[in-house]
Amino acid sequence: MIDFLDVCERAETGPLMTEKDFELKVLIPGLRDVVSEYEIKYDSETPVPADDNLADRVYEASVNYLARVGVYCQDTNRLIQFTEEEIREAVANAPGQCFTGEGKDASVFRVREPDDVTPARCHVNWGTVHSSREMAVDIMSANVTHPEAKAISISSVNKTVRGRQVTAGSPLEMYAGIRAVKVARDALRRAGRPGLPMMNLVPAAASAVTTIGASGPQFGARPTDGWIIGIISENKLDYGAMNKVAYLLNWGANIGAQGAPSLGGYSGGAPGTAVVNTAYFLLGLVGMKADYHLCFPIHFRHGCCSTRDVLWVVSASSQAGSRNVPVPVIWLGYMAAGVNTKMYFYEAAAYLLAACTSGADAVKMPTPAKGVKVDASTPMETRFGIEMVKAASRLDRREANELVLKLLEMYESRIPDAPEGDRYQDCYDAEMAKPGKDYLRLYDEVKGELTDLGIPFE
Amino acid sequence: MERYEILEELKTAIVEGDAAKARETAQVAVQEEIDPLEAVELGLAKGMEVVGDRFECGDAYLPELMMAGDAFKSAMEILRPELMRQKKETSVAGTVVLASVRGDLHSIGKNIVANVLETHGFQVVDAGVDNGALQIIEEARNANADAIGLSALMTTTMPAQKEVINALLELGLRDEYRVIVGGGPVTEEWADEIGADGFGQDAVQAVELLKSLLKEQP
Repeated sequence: MIDFLDVCERAETGPLMTEKDFELKVLIPGLRDVVSEYEIKYDSETPVPADDNLADRVYEASVNYLARVGVYCQDTNRLIQFTEEEIREAVANAPGQCFTGEGKDASVFRVREPDDVTPARCHVNWGTVHSSREMAVDIMSANVTHPEAKAISISSVNKTVRGRQVTAGSPLEMYAGIRAVKVARDALRRAGRPGLPMMNLVPAAASAVTTIGASGPQFGARPTDGWIIGIISENKLDYGAMNKVAYLLNWGANIGAQGAPSLGGYSGGAPGTAVVNTAYFLLGLVGMKADYHLCFPIHFRHGCCSTRDVLWVVSASSQAGSRNVPVPVIWLGYMAAGVNTKMYFYEAAAYLLAACTSGADAVKMPTPAKGVKVDASTPMETRFGIEMVKAASRLDRREANELVLKLLEMYESRIPDAPEGDRYQDCYDAEMAKPGKDYLRLYDEVKGELTDLGIPFE
Repeated sequence: MERYEILEELKTAIVEGDAAKARETAQVAVQEEIDPLEAVELGLAKGMEVVGDRFECGDAYLPELMMAGDAFKSAMEILRPELMRQKKETSVAGTVVLASVRGDLHSIGKNIVANVLETHGFQVVDAGVDNGALQIIEEARNANADAIGLSALMTTTMPAQKEVINALLELGLRDEYRVIVGGGPVTEEWADEIGADGFGQDAVQAVELLKSLLKEQP
């Protein structure tokens, strides 16, 4: 099995080419060929396919794709290549589980299967920005009070440090990164869950130096937390990402490879995006020595994960991965609509049904307002997500497909102009950290509608 | 081959993203003494329009745009010397420098905008990712650009869009270029706050915005 040092060596010795040539002559034709050879086809009437043969073809196509295309190193302009044997060996040796958290909050993050009756692992909170430390702490603390919450994505606290704007790669980013980790660990202590794993370290850190600097145990990070290392879209890495891998391997900390293929970007339509998303599970194992994976295939134009074609990508690639690649995956969905809107809940229900019945190992509670609006999240979305995860475990893929089709009718046409919704302070009693009456009323109404639709809530 | 057939072949080569066919057909056009300006404007540019329209309708994606752009460039390698020899110039909607700003390594959104602009007749200089303010301004000066497009996909890289505008002001160059901004967290309000000339929610909006901004230019 290849070592990470082999990967580093290949980054220095692989075929030399410009990034443009990689995209035009290697990536795009390589992906088109495998999509055609393995007959990967998108069916808009089946956003949640129940076809094991399709899932296995997506997997085989992804192995072939990664072996053909490799991964481009932007710092050396060289192609890091893997043979099909190396990829299959990495899959065969994948541990199938990841050990996270400490003390009472320690847990094993395991893989699931399509139509699994065990609920997906609930991953709570969001890496999005809050405008004050108090609000971030209140929301994180509330989100982890659910016993179902087994892991957390910690929030970014705000965009400034003592009034000074945080900019990527600057020393202020280091201050902000350290602050985010410290504030989150304090919030977890306050909620009585100090050992809960923080699986998105380090949020808002654009540079490797901030990620590594803010990860010092003196600030609250532990090797049983998880570090997200992004694959650059598509099939690219840089030395920043590889430096993080080197550091975490030396520490023995959990490495999370992050893949976010853009439907409409280099991977083209839904079939290509499903293949690339699955290939990233493999790249995480063979090229980044990942212990877990985090992914969010996303629509290039709408910036969300709830479109019909992206739901198909989520379902098809989740099935391909869970049937063939034993690495636990966190599925993250960005919703077009925001907090305190019915549309958010329709989108979140569709996303969670598609992911959970397709074998998603863990789901992050869907992120409101595309994750770009400040203060746009509340504990109510977590409550809903946990209820949906349990409901989805009582359904299979065919049943989920029927429900998702109905849900799509309820929101699909509004995606381009989705309501951006409220901020936390608009719909919550911030002092008491309780939802406002209007939001509670809307929540009950939506749950009633979804129950009538056939979603089996407890 | 008749003139109209050659023009149709050039258009088809672009639509199919077939660089070899575009180059070969351009050679045929030169041999058959087709007006090179017509070959560009009635053949290649028409193909780019088709691909651009398909993209806007959701029937084509970034790979189709990139391959069409590559085919266009291949054909232009043959046609450009002819244009120069005959002292003819193709019409350009404007020259735009596109860049992801300092600290931002994301490129897909910027690349989509670049390719869609090319299908609408803009000349695009892609400065790549992680560009400092002076680097971007230098690119704009070298390209004699009309406009600068700044992409930021993270809240922590948005301030770097402001840095570019501030640097243009400090250098006394702000009036030389229209500046538009875009990217996931970027909003109209942010564009106004930092003094940009406009904000594009997506590639199609960016094209319309630039067309209208450049029309206003004296």
